[in-house]
Amino acid sequence: MSNGQARMKFYCDTTRCIECFACSVACSEAHELPVGISRRKVVTMHEGIPGKEYSISIACMHCTDAPCEQVCPVDCFYIREDGIVLHDKNKCIGCGYCLYACPFGAPQFPRDGAFGTKGAMDKCTMCAGGPEETNSARERHLYGHNRIAEGKVPICAAVCATNALLVGDAEEVSTIYRKRVSSRGKGA
Amino acid sequence: MTRRAIIVVAASMMLASAACAADSQIWGGMIITNIPEYGKDQSRNLGPLFTYLQGNFFRSIFLGILLGIPAVFLCHYLVFGPKVFSHDGERIYVFTLFNRIIHLLAAVSFVILVPTGFMIVFGAYLGGGALVTYARHLHGIATIVFAVSVVPMFVFWFVEMLPAMDDIKWFFMLGGYLSRKKQEVPAGKFNGGQKVWFWLATIGGLVMIVTGGAMYLQDFGLGIAGGLGMSQIDLLRLAAIVHNLLAFAVVAFFFTHVYMSLFAIKGSINSIITGYKEEDEVKHLHSSYYRKLKQVRKA
Repeated sequence: MSNGQARMKFYCDTTRCIECFACSVACSEAHELPVGISRRKVVTMHEGIPGKEYSISIACMHCTDAPCEQVCPVDCFYIREDGIVLHDKNKCIGCGYCLYACPFGAPQFPRDGAFGTKGAMDKCTMCAGGPEETNSARERHLYGHNRIAEGKVPICAAVCATNALLVGDAEEVSTIYRKRVSSRGKGA
Repeated sequence: MTRRAIIVVAASMMLASAACAADSQIWGGMIITNIPEYGKDQSRNLGPLFTYLQGNFFRSIFLGILLGIPAVFLCHYLVFGPKVFSHDGERIYVFTLFNRIIHLLAAVSFVILVPTGFMIVFGAYLGGGALVTYARHLHGIATIVFAVSVVPMFVFWFVEMLPAMDDIKWFFMLGGYLSRKKQEVPAGKFNGGQKVWFWLATIGGLVMIVTGGAMYLQDFGLGIAGGLGMSQIDLLRLAAIVHNLLAFAVVAFFFTHVYMSLFAIKGSINSIITGYKEEDEVKHLHSSYYRKLKQVRKA
């Protein structure tokens, strides 16, 4: 069991991911994301090469030492006590610095301004909303559905048919993955 | 009908952006292959480097420049005072109307670019949001004005801005600015300091336009990143680092340029407005140029 505060993490078990895109579609649907924005993506590597092909689901990894938070010129990021990395869209100026800092290409920018200028950044919230009043219409409009506040699992992991996508306290997630690896004897 | 056409165009643009997102170099399949470029031994480590520099130094260095350079010039003004030249003598025509109009465009763009740039850097203290977002948009619009002025400026001053022996002597005496004495300073039509500023503003300015443009467009294909043997995200990281580092120099020299023209040499701003410089000023601050003019006149 974890000692003290949980640190929420995602992990995608690539030996289980079957490239069904359910996580990505469910995410876009649950949060009513605009066209062109996809907070969670499924990517298949080495497609068609036997033994080398694998698929992985990727979104914001909610880093403990989040680089996005370190580079933001308007300090719009904040990290919750449970480790979820969120940002304030009303502060964000859409400069793109967080994208350069991010190892995972998580931040995206809707081209919603005049002449296609970049709008406020959008990324995975681990279904935890944003700084607006919890479950308010405003929060839902800006950040999507706050499932964490309703005691629910993030939608991507909830719909994952093969349980490839794990989410929860980092230690719990690694315990589950360790058990899987030892039972199948490979894949660590 | 018009409304319908607008909707069709808007919808197709949105679909085009969605299509772009699918084979995007940042958010497409490369989202996975880009991960090892961050921090792995064989990578360029531009991601961690940008995070380290922007997270620890860039803002402080900009603050140092913003406060430090005006402070240095205030001290200079108080200790050495301004250079004052006689306005009674003949006036020498140095800048054509075209020179002055192009310079005016560059000046207007800089007066917008520099403060809006500082607003982005210190956005956190302004609360971010709409104010700083508009500063960022204005930064982009002013870039267009600068881009229009930088090419003709480069062309018409290029020859006179080439380095000369006078410049070395000029640098050794720092243009005579560390003295109250009125002396003849070795310089052609432009002195060593002006030449550094010229090359920084034109070549450096073009680099600022290119790196800033890359950050503005963000997810452009064009094969530029591939041609340089790097990923699109690493190209953007490099652009952000270069844009900030070069901005230190450009801003520092811009402040110097403003101080010289407005305060350090009394009335010297008039030359870029009217086109004429005072003979006394040319004789002392551009002595080689003055001698050449005299010889031409004699012949």
